[in-house]
Amino acid sequence: MSWESWVIATFSRTLAYGTPLLLATLGEIYAERAGVLNLGVEGMMIIGAFAGFAVAHNTGNPWLGVLIASAVGGVFSLIHAFASITLRANQVVSGLALTMLGLGLSGVLGRRFEGMPLFHPLKEVTVPGLASIPILGPILFDGQNLLVYISIVLAVIMWYVLYRTRIGVSIRAVGEDPATADSLGVNVARVRYLCVFVGGVLAGMAGAYLSIAYRPSWTDGMTAGMGWIVIALTIFAFWNPLLGLVGAYFFAALFHLSFRLQAWVAPELLKAMPYALAILVLIAVSRGTLQKRMGAPSALTLPYRRGEE
Amino acid sequence: MKRALVVLGVLAVMISVGMVGLADAYVPGTPLKVGFIYVGPIGDYGWTYAHNEARLIVEDTFPWVETFIVESVAEGQEEAFIDQLIQEFDVDVVITTSFGFMNGTYAAAQRYPDKIFAHASGFMRLPNMLTYMADFYQVYYLNGIIAGALTETNKVGYVGAFPIPEVKRHLNAFALGVQAANPEAEVQASWIYEWFNPAGAKEATEALIADGCDMFAFTEDSPTVVQVAADNGLLSFAHYGSQMYQFAPDYVVSGQAVHWDAIYVDFLQKIYDGVYTAQNLQNVDYWWLMSQDAVAAEAQPGVPINPLYVDALKAYMVDDPVLGMISAYDLFYTRLAQFSNPGVTFDPFQGPIVDRTGVVRVEEGSWLSVDSLITMEWRVSNVVGSWPNEP
Amino acid sequence: MKLLSRIHVERRTASPAWLVFAVSVGAIVAALLVAGIFFRAYGVSPLRAYGDILRGAFGSRLGITETIRRAIPLLLIGVGLTVAFRALFWNIGAEGQLLIGAVAATGIALFSGLPGGLLLPAMFVGGFLAGAAWGIIPATLKSKLGINDVITTLMMNYIAIYIVDWLIHGPWKGPSMRGFAYTDPFPAAAVLSTVGDTRIHWPTLVIGIVAAIVAYIVVKRTRLGFEIRVVGENQHAAKYSGISHVKITLLAMAFSGGMAGMAGVGEVAGIHHMLLGPANVTGGYGYTAIIVAWLARRNPLAVIITAFLFAVLLRGGDVIKVSLGLPFQLVNVFNGLILFFLIGSDILMRYRISFGRKERETV
Repeated sequence: MSWESWVIATFSRTLAYGTPLLLATLGEIYAERAGVLNLGVEGMMIIGAFAGFAVAHNTGNPWLGVLIASAVGGVFSLIHAFASITLRANQVVSGLALTMLGLGLSGVLGRRFEGMPLFHPLKEVTVPGLASIPILGPILFDGQNLLVYISIVLAVIMWYVLYRTRIGVSIRAVGEDPATADSLGVNVARVRYLCVFVGGVLAGMAGAYLSIAYRPSWTDGMTAGMGWIVIALTIFAFWNPLLGLVGAYFFAALFHLSFRLQAWVAPELLKAMPYALAILVLIAVSRGTLQKRMGAPSALTLPYRRGEE
Repeated sequence: MKRALVVLGVLAVMISVGMVGLADAYVPGTPLKVGFIYVGPIGDYGWTYAHNEARLIVEDTFPWVETFIVESVAEGQEEAFIDQLIQEFDVDVVITTSFGFMNGTYAAAQRYPDKIFAHASGFMRLPNMLTYMADFYQVYYLNGIIAGALTETNKVGYVGAFPIPEVKRHLNAFALGVQAANPEAEVQASWIYEWFNPAGAKEATEALIADGCDMFAFTEDSPTVVQVAADNGLLSFAHYGSQMYQFAPDYVVSGQAVHWDAIYVDFLQKIYDGVYTAQNLQNVDYWWLMSQDAVAAEAQPGVPINPLYVDALKAYMVDDPVLGMISAYDLFYTRLAQFSNPGVTFDPFQGPIVDRTGVVRVEEGSWLSVDSLITMEWRVSNVVGSWPNEP
Repeated sequence: MKLLSRIHVERRTASPAWLVFAVSVGAIVAALLVAGIFFRAYGVSPLRAYGDILRGAFGSRLGITETIRRAIPLLLIGVGLTVAFRALFWNIGAEGQLLIGAVAATGIALFSGLPGGLLLPAMFVGGFLAGAAWGIIPATLKSKLGINDVITTLMMNYIAIYIVDWLIHGPWKGPSMRGFAYTDPFPAAAVLSTVGDTRIHWPTLVIGIVAAIVAYIVVKRTRLGFEIRVVGENQHAAKYSGISHVKITLLAMAFSGGMAGMAGVGEVAGIHHMLLGPANVTGGYGYTAIIVAWLARRNPLAVIITAFLFAVLLRGGDVIKVSLGLPFQLVNVFNGLILFFLIGSDILMRYRISFGRKERETV
C-alpha cells in the first residue's frame, strides 16, 4: 500500500475520532479555566448522546438532535454548577455524582431505543473542488462531517475569546484568583456558571456526534470512558483551546493507530498513554514560571465566597 | 462504639445460626422454575440478547416453565444471585451464561446438591452441573466461502473481540472458508480487546478498510462493523443475525445466528421427564452445532444469503479438490447441507491443515477433537495481522 | 459578655453532633424521595422498592451475610480515605490502589513459592505495600511539586486498569483457563477462609475493623493525628509549628493506598481466587468508598456504619434487580442522587460551622 493512502487514512480517521474529544475538551477547558473541575464529562456526554439520538430518531432531523443534545448537556451541567458554585459543595464528588447520574439516567431512559437504526444520521460532506487537492483534499474535504469543521472553528474562536477579549480575561482571572477578580467587579459566580454551562453544551454536542454521526445508534454506555480521556486531554492541552485541538487529534491518532499497529505495539500501552502523558505533562510544567504560564488554574476545585479565605 | 459492638454481636449470632428449610429436589413432571444469570444487559445486540430470546421461546414452548432473570451481573458476583434465585424464588434450575461465572456456579452447585446448574462455555462439571455451548465455527466457514467469492481486493477483514481460542477458532474457520473459495485471498485480523466497544469496532473497521479490506466478519456485540462497512459501500456478515441486519439490509450478505433455545428446550425437557437429575450430569456437555439447529448461517431468519448477492455467487466458480468446478453458491449450500446433516460428512477443520508457521495442525483425512478446537491458538496460513500467543 | 458568648459557643459545638446526623439522614431521605419518582415512573411503587431493598439486605441470613461481604472492601478503603481526606488529600485513586494491591497478592499467590502458612500474610503485606506505593506517587507529586491530587489519582486508576489488562492477557494468562483472560486459580493456601458457608472472608473484615479503631485512636488521640489535622486544616499553621507537610501527606497516602491495596487482596483472595478483568475486581468499590468516607465525615470509626449502609444499598440494588426486574442502571441513578443530596446538604453544616467560627473570633 502506498504511503499516501496510509497518511490519508490515518489523518482523516484522526479528524473523525478526534472531533468528539475536541468538542468536550474545549468545554472542559472553559470550566476549569474558570476554576470549576467537572468530572461529570462522561455523564454529560452520554446524556447528550441519548437525547440526541432520541430526538433525531423521533423527528428524523439530525440537526435538531444535535441542538437538543447540546441543550440537555448544558442543563445537566447546571446541576454541577449549582452544587459546586452556589452550594460550594465539593467539586470532585459532585462531578462523580453527575457521571453516575448521566450513565444511570441514559441507561434507564434509553432502553426503548436500544437496537434501533437511525435512518437519517448526520451526513458526511464532500467539498467539491477542494476534495481533489492531493493528500490534503481527501483528508480534510472528502467525507468528513460538518461537526468536524464546526469543532475546529470553535477551537479557534474559543482560543481567541480566552486570550484576546475582556471576557477571556475575566474567565482566567476567576480561575486564578477569584477574590481579586471579584474586587475588580467581575461576577465570579456568573462567569463560573457560564463556563460550566458551555462545558455541558459542548459535552452534549460531543455525545450527539457519537450517536448521530460517528456511529448512528444508541447503546447503553456508548461513550465508553471517553469523558475520562477528556479530563486527561484538558491537562495535556495546558488548558489552551488550540493545544486542545492538537491534543485531541494526537490522542485520536493514538487510538486509531492502536488498531493499525497492534501487531507491533501492545494495545494496553497505547491505551494507557493518554493518562500517563497527562501526569508527565503536569510534572514537566510543575516548576517556576512554566507552572504559572502553563499549569493548572490556581483556583481549580476551590469554591469561592466573598470574604472567605 | 458500644452500640456498634452490640449490633455486631447480634449479627454474628444471626449468621452463625444455620440455614433452614432449603427447598427439596425437583420432582419430575411438576412445574419447573428456571433462573437465568446474564453477564450483559438484555439490550445488547449479541450474546445476552440471544440468550434472552431463547428464554422467551422456552417460556412459550413449555407451559410448565417459569423463568427468572438477572442481567448485567459482574463476574464474581454470580453466587449471591444464585443464592437469591434459589432461596427467594425457589428455582430448580440455574443457568449461568458466561465463562466467567464458572467458579461461582461450581461453588453453588456444590452447596446446593439438589439443584440443577447449567453453565455456558465452561469446562467444569458436577453430577448436578452440566455445560453447554452452541458454536459458530461451521457458520463462519460458510460465511468465509461467500467472502472469498465476493472480495475484489482479495483482502477480507475480521474484527475480533479478544485473541482467545473461541474467537481464533471462528476466525480460522472463516479464513478456511475464504481459502476454499479463493486461495489468493487473505484474512486480516484486528482485535479490540472488548466484547462490546462500538468506538473500537468503528476504528478497527476503518483501519481494515484503509488497509484495503472490502468484506467484513466480526465478533463484537454491536452492529458497528455492519454500519461502517455499509457507509463505505462494503459488505459484511451480521453477528447474531436479525438484530444487526436491519442496520444495513443491502450490505449484509449473510451472518451467524444462534438458537440457544434448541439446547434449553432439550435439557429442560429432559429434566421435566426425569432423564436429567441432580445426580447424572457429570458427563453432560452440549457442544451443539448446525446439525442440532443450535446455530445457523443467515442474513436474517430463514434467509441464508441475501438475495441481492445470489447471482454474483452463482457466477463465481470454485475449483474444489473433491467437488470439481462448482459455483460458490452451490459450494455454500453443499457445505450447509453437509453441516446440517445429522451424520456430518465434512468439517471446516478437516486435514490436511498447515498453520502459518508451517506446522501440520490437522493430519490428512482427520478432524480436530472438540478439545483441540476449544484450545486453538494457532492460525491458518492465510490469516495476517496481530495474533497474540501464536505457538 | 465573654462568659455568655462562651456558653453560646458551647451550645453550638454540642449541637453539630445531632445536626451532622440529622443532615446526613435528611439527605438520604431526600434522595430516596426523588429516586421514588423514578421508581414510580418505572411503574414500581417506591415503598415496595425500598421495602425490597431492606428485606433483601436484612430479611434473611443470606441478605445479612452478603451485605457484610459487600461492606468489607468499602470499610477498608473508606477508613484509609478518611485519613487521606483529613490531610486534605483528594484520593480518588482507591480504585487503582485496590487493583495494584490485587496484582501484588496475585503475584505472591501464584509465583512466590512461599510455604502455605506464610502465603496469606505475605499477600496482605505485599498488597498493602503495593497499594501504598501506588498512593505515594501522587502524594509525592502533590507535596513536592504541587500537582493536583484529584487528577493524578484519577489518571493512575486508568494506568492500573491497563496494567491488569495487560497481565491477564499477556504474561499472567493462566494456562489452565483455556485461553480466556484470567490468571490460574490461587492455590488453596492463598484462599481466605470464610465464616461457615457464607462468603464473608473474615480475616479481611477483622483487619478493617481493627484498622478503623486504630485509625480513630491515632487521629483523635496522638501527636500524629494532631499533625494530620493541622496539615489538613491549615497549611500555614502547619509550617509555623514545624510540622512536615510532605511527611504527613506521604504517611496519610501510604495508609490510604495501603488500605485500598488490602481491600484488593481481600477481593482476589476472598472472592475471586484469581486475577480477572479490572472492572470485576474493583466492582466500583474505590469510587463508592469515597461516598462512604464522605458520609462518615472523615471519622474512621463512623466508616464501620457508613460502609455497612452503602453495602445495604449495593445489596438492595442487586435484590430489586431480580425481584422487581428493574434495569440495573437505576442503581447508578440512585447513587448519583444520594451523592448530590449529601454534598448539597453539607452547606447546612458548613454554614453552621462557619457561623460558629465567627462566634469564636469574637471571643
